[in-house]
Amino acid sequence: MKQWNELTTAGGTGVHPAGPIIAARGLTRVYPLEACEVIGINEVDLEVRAGELVVLKGDSGSGKSTLLALLGGMDRPTRGCLMVAGQDLSTAGVWDLTRFRREVVGMVFQSFNLLPTLSALENVCLPALLAGVSYGKVRSKAMELLAWLGLESRVHHLPGQLSGGEMQRTAIARALINDPPLILADEPTGDLDSANGHRVMEHLGELNRRQGRTVLIATHSTLADPYATRTVRLKDGGIAEMTWAD
Amino acid sequence: MGRLTLFLRLWLWFSFRHLRAHYRRTLAVVAGIALGAAVFTSVRLAVHASIDSFTRTVDTLTGKADRVVIHPGGRVPESVVSQLAKHPWVESASPVMTTYVRAVERWTGPFLLVGIDPILDRPLRTWETRDRDVASGLRASAWIDLLREPFSVLLGDGLARRLDVREGGRVEIQGPRGNTPFRVVGILESRGLGAAEGGETALVDIATFQEFTGQPGFVDRVDLLFKPGIPSQEVESLRALLPAALVLEMPGESRESGRLLIRSYELNLSVLSFVSLFVGMFLIYSLVALNAASRRHELAVLRCLGASSRLLFVLFLFEGVFFGVVGWLTAVPLSGFLVGRMLHGVSETISLLFVRVRVDQVGLDSREVALSLLVTVLISILAAWQPARQAMKVPPREALLIRDSLAERRGSARKIAFLGTVLILLVWPLSQLPGIAGIPVGGYLGTFLLFAGFSLVSPWVLSLLGDKMPEVLRKVGGEPGFLGARTIRDAGARIAISVGALITATALFVALVIMVHSFRQTVTAWVNQTITGDLFLRPRMAEFNHYRDPLPRAAVKTLKELETPVQVLPYRRIFLHQGNIRYQFEAIDFPVFLRYAKFLLLEGKPEEMIPKLTEGEGVLISEVFANRSRLRLGDTYRVRIRGVEIHRPVVGIFRDYRTQGGVVHYSLSHFQELTGDDSWGGARVHLVDPGPDPQASAARVREEIHRRCVECVPGVEITLGNDLRRGVLRIFDETFAITTVLLFIALFIAALGIATTLMVLVLERAREFHILLAVGAERSQVRRMILWEAVLMVLTGEIIGLGCGFCLSWILVYVINRQSFGWTFVYAVDWSSLLASLPLVLAAALLATLPASRWVFRRSPAQILRQG
Repeated sequence: MKQWNELTTAGGTGVHPAGPIIAARGLTRVYPLEACEVIGINEVDLEVRAGELVVLKGDSGSGKSTLLALLGGMDRPTRGCLMVAGQDLSTAGVWDLTRFRREVVGMVFQSFNLLPTLSALENVCLPALLAGVSYGKVRSKAMELLAWLGLESRVHHLPGQLSGGEMQRTAIARALINDPPLILADEPTGDLDSANGHRVMEHLGELNRRQGRTVLIATHSTLADPYATRTVRLKDGGIAEMTWAD
Repeated sequence: MGRLTLFLRLWLWFSFRHLRAHYRRTLAVVAGIALGAAVFTSVRLAVHASIDSFTRTVDTLTGKADRVVIHPGGRVPESVVSQLAKHPWVESASPVMTTYVRAVERWTGPFLLVGIDPILDRPLRTWETRDRDVASGLRASAWIDLLREPFSVLLGDGLARRLDVREGGRVEIQGPRGNTPFRVVGILESRGLGAAEGGETALVDIATFQEFTGQPGFVDRVDLLFKPGIPSQEVESLRALLPAALVLEMPGESRESGRLLIRSYELNLSVLSFVSLFVGMFLIYSLVALNAASRRHELAVLRCLGASSRLLFVLFLFEGVFFGVVGWLTAVPLSGFLVGRMLHGVSETISLLFVRVRVDQVGLDSREVALSLLVTVLISILAAWQPARQAMKVPPREALLIRDSLAERRGSARKIAFLGTVLILLVWPLSQLPGIAGIPVGGYLGTFLLFAGFSLVSPWVLSLLGDKMPEVLRKVGGEPGFLGARTIRDAGARIAISVGALITATALFVALVIMVHSFRQTVTAWVNQTITGDLFLRPRMAEFNHYRDPLPRAAVKTLKELETPVQVLPYRRIFLHQGNIRYQFEAIDFPVFLRYAKFLLLEGKPEEMIPKLTEGEGVLISEVFANRSRLRLGDTYRVRIRGVEIHRPVVGIFRDYRTQGGVVHYSLSHFQELTGDDSWGGARVHLVDPGPDPQASAARVREEIHRRCVECVPGVEITLGNDLRRGVLRIFDETFAITTVLLFIALFIAALGIATTLMVLVLERAREFHILLAVGAERSQVRRMILWEAVLMVLTGEIIGLGCGFCLSWILVYVINRQSFGWTFVYAVDWSSLLASLPLVLAAALLATLPASRWVFRRSPAQILRQG
């Protein structure tokens, strides 16, 4: 079995390029409703250097998920400037955002978001297939990732046949298949028991420390704290506090 | 190639497995499409086979003739044949006679008897007899026996099988002069003349034919084959050779006029069969839309992972292609089953109403099969288009469950309703457009715009209902009623599409019920007011032979000398055509007619019209003839009959529902005076004193005629008036049998759509129902909530469908029927049928919710709610 560090490509060799990987200035997202507007985030300035593990904290409605959606190219800001991995997401077109989501970012969701009709292996292969990699080539890499995450005996199981922890590890493998430099995790332990939650956090920590990937985790939980290089506390759509780890 | 492989792999993983996992609803949609495709295909194949049979028969009988010589209203003197044959540019001149006859025993269906000169006819038509057994010493060529032996006949293979007779056997044939035995000297091969009328043809020498029918010295027509390169002025010189009464015309005219008659019926049946497929389209739309809506989160995840919006669009569009192809493949065996049944119904209807067709089998016409596949797949793609477009709009941020704007959904129902209203308003101007080559294009387009328009209005009506009704339903049905109405408001497009299917099917049902009822009421009035008479006399097989042969003189004499006091109304009916328009020229005794019957007048004043008609100074034309020929009141009608030109103004237009083209009436006495033809084509007999039992009195008169006129027994058909009128209405009812079947199939498909939607909506809201149970609702309350949803959906569909149906019935009566067939009828609504049938649809839909409700409650709230 390959060691986890052998699975990396140049995107995660631990070498950190100069300049922030994320640079947001005056970032704002407003949602119009029938009779009013809901402010997701408001005038957020944030820089994240490559290789950091940033934990986003805040109560429900503080803007964590909104910020993650913007950083992940899943939404567009209403105002402000957002550069991620050298790409200007505030003015990017639909196709550019699609490519960005394939190549630059790997998402890990609270509710796992595995496609129920695909097996664990197929779910992991999916982003690479969408990026145009042949099935034969991606399949072997997916098998290795799943083995690294201890899922070698579950590769052909459907999500409905996996436990919560197994589903989330599958989701992590899926997030890694295209070797993205940036991993975004939205409440990755929210639907897990404490043991599985610890395990997932360990994997995310390894991705950061040993592979050098930039990881942003939005969470209420304290499980991520030991791994954080920085904690950003959000409140009412803005940054209330920022603390760096020693 | 790589992209295709990726797409197919993704479709298999994402879409096909989902369809397979929910196989019941998938099968329901496939079944609906299969039924629609099967109906469409089998109707098209049946109609195509009938038209093909008609065309083949006409072409076979026409042969290679370049021109034909006919005598409108009469027969061609045989002496013309030799005159024409001497023309330097005529290769061959062949006399031809045809009539429909019946055998006396074994099988008594009508078949075509053809009389030709076997030698003169050879260059024009092909026919071969089966080789005889030379070893047995018989000669190889049976046709020589036709020349040598009077009353010998060659039978088509199909006819020989029907009559169960072989070469050397005997068959007795009913003719105008009695039953005549014939010897079968050979069996025709099933090609050329032997293939006409599906092989139910008999061939005799022309001299035998003349003797059999009592027409020595005359033939029906002379077919001419020219030498190659004949100059056009030589054709004109031929015309000059002919006596004034004879006409030289193109041989294909009867084929084209016959095809024109069938075409409208063919088109209407095709459109009606297409509606089943159209309703099936809603099924696909409904399921693909449900899939797209219920898997919205998965679509957002796919977008997150790097799937483009175009890929999602194609994924769902391909679901449509899947349903279309699988549905069509499933339809193949079903079509095979249906086509046999359709073929009998369709060919019988065409034969009864328009032209005789005999179809022995249906060929698998590759064009029709390809058309059916193409239409099914296109319809399916069209159905999946909008849901696919909705799917491609799912933003990736929804994977994070960030709130969406509700205002967009509400606004879209209003916008769609506005579009629907525009479509409905376009129906009126479209339906006013004239037909194109007799095809009511505007009417058909208007029909589909009506379906689309009313369906597009339904989401807004449902949301309005959901807004205004909850409090009312709370009072009527308690909290379940309130919640049911709220669900209707919020379900949006997910239920609107199935309601659209129900609207379409209900509208079609309502419109056809009204149309058929209106038609029947008007035809009944026509039959009772115009086709009066206690007895009807006509030559045997007159309907089949287009009244070619007049009533025997003996019959005419008998009628004039009857002991029972009667009033006889003679008529002379001649089948003509004006270009491609077939019609009947009928000379009648107007004063006698108007004493016992009346015309259903559309235009013309009786007080002005009747004197002119009686004096032979005008003609009365039917609505169908007026619409086809574009002659109006005051225009001049022109015709040449028996060498005489008749030009008279149109003094009235009346309703008539004879199906073999229009009718032109002229005074009988003046016709006889002009043409010198004093024969009768038929006669009606009115009893002066019918007594307490008119039917019995008429039967006694029939017996008196048979007693006094022995020749009348074989050669004359005498029908009691009531029997004739009942027969006309029976034909009317039978012709709508196919329409009724197609209609119920469309209704069934729509009901399937509603049932599938209701079940899916219930199954997908299992969590919601269990939340209700968890907060204290009873199961019966939840069931009642589901029932209220079903009631509101179905009632909305039926009420809107009723409105749409009334609009559609107007288009059917005043546009499509008028432009297709040339007639209109008096609009009448059969309220009892409508009100009795609509609750049945409601009951069927409500029944569909029962199994779904039972399934939902199989698991406990704890299980369902824990799954999340």
